[in-house]
Amino acid sequence: MIRFSVISLSLVFSLTSCSLKTTEGLRPIDLNEVAKLNKVVENLYFSNPEIDYVYKAKIKVYNKNFGGILIVKKTGPENHRVVFTTEFGSKLLDFQFDGDKFTKNFVVEDLDKKFIINILRDDFKLLITEKSDILETFSSEVHNVLKTQSEERFNYYFFEKKTGKLQKIINTTKRKEKVEVNFTSTEKEIADIISIKHNNFKLTIDLEKFKKE
Amino acid sequence: MRNYLFLLVFVLIGGSIAAQEIAMNASEISAFKQKVISTAKSTNSIKADFVQFKHLDFLANDVKTSGKMVFKAPNLVKWEYTNPYQYSVIFKEDKLLINDGGTKSKVDIGNSNLFKKLNELIVKSVKGNMFNDADFTVSFYKVSKHYKAVFVPKDKKIANYIASFELLFNKDDAQVHEVKMIEPSKDFTRIIFGNRVLNSKINDSVFSN
Repeated sequence: MIRFSVISLSLVFSLTSCSLKTTEGLRPIDLNEVAKLNKVVENLYFSNPEIDYVYKAKIKVYNKNFGGILIVKKTGPENHRVVFTTEFGSKLLDFQFDGDKFTKNFVVEDLDKKFIINILRDDFKLLITEKSDILETFSSEVHNVLKTQSEERFNYYFFEKKTGKLQKIINTTKRKEKVEVNFTSTEKEIADIISIKHNNFKLTIDLEKFKKE
Repeated sequence: MRNYLFLLVFVLIGGSIAAQEIAMNASEISAFKQKVISTAKSTNSIKADFVQFKHLDFLANDVKTSGKMVFKAPNLVKWEYTNPYQYSVIFKEDKLLINDGGTKSKVDIGNSNLFKKLNELIVKSVKGNMFNDADFTVSFYKVSKHYKAVFVPKDKKIANYIASFELLFNKDDAQVHEVKMIEPSKDFTRIIFGNRVLNSKINDSVFSN
């Protein structure tokens, strides 16, 4: 009996560990039902070309802390510039996204490593991507959850039902959550606080929007 | 025709107003250097407010931050941003003591990398007395109320990050009024000092994190 329960327990454990944590407890919604709604998911947090999006950034890699200023600007229908500087204003990196094309305008030597560039490119791309096609939809008591595909991975967008605000994006493989982005916003289209957390290594990026004078 | 003439005169005058920057001659340069050096020697401490503008060509507005700077001879500097966020760096011996909104850290500049050096440069320029820095070619100009020193890096590696570095000095007291760091992309950082207090007593405890 004991052996049986150990086996069944471990079986349950191994089964649940195979499935993606993100959708646990969520109710799938028929896509036909969704058809009545939008077919694309929209992230409007960096979508206004009139706005200079300027954030104080705090980056923690393993146990090291770095600070800086993150500046994002929508420069065209499918174009964004993303610049990271020190507090003193020295440019550390300058990225450009034109649709799916990525250009590294400038990177300070110490950061110019493929591994770092790829992570930051993917993180920033996740933040600025405005529209993606919906693959599946889910629902919980508080959220509408929309799943999209992003190359080999998936993104789950969590919209608060009550306010329609985007609160969270989780980037996953088929089985594992890789990156989690949380948004706190007072206005629907402006994120005051953004936190990006990586699950496969110790990297967090915390962003706080400059207050208006 | 008269209109064209008028326009031409206007452009010429306008042009000469814009080009009020005149290169200093050798004796002016040496007198100016003397003044800066003697001012720096008699300065035991400086307290000042500053406003920083980061200009990026694609932004509608420059990114504005501001704060306070404290210098105590010979080489203690605290650089503190207070708006719109709290962030301070203390330059103490070969260490940087950073307080990023409560998150404290210490960086050894002994094995410094380039961008920390760039930050250091701004702090050095507070004193103004950096004409003998072997890393730069310096040229001097007179502009309306100020003297201007333009530093161009000799080192190619540094030149990848800074095209030039400009200091504006007040004509009357030879103190640094403005620092401007121009990147090869033409984007720049401008720091303007105000409310300067010289030689007040400053406790060493200001320079601990």
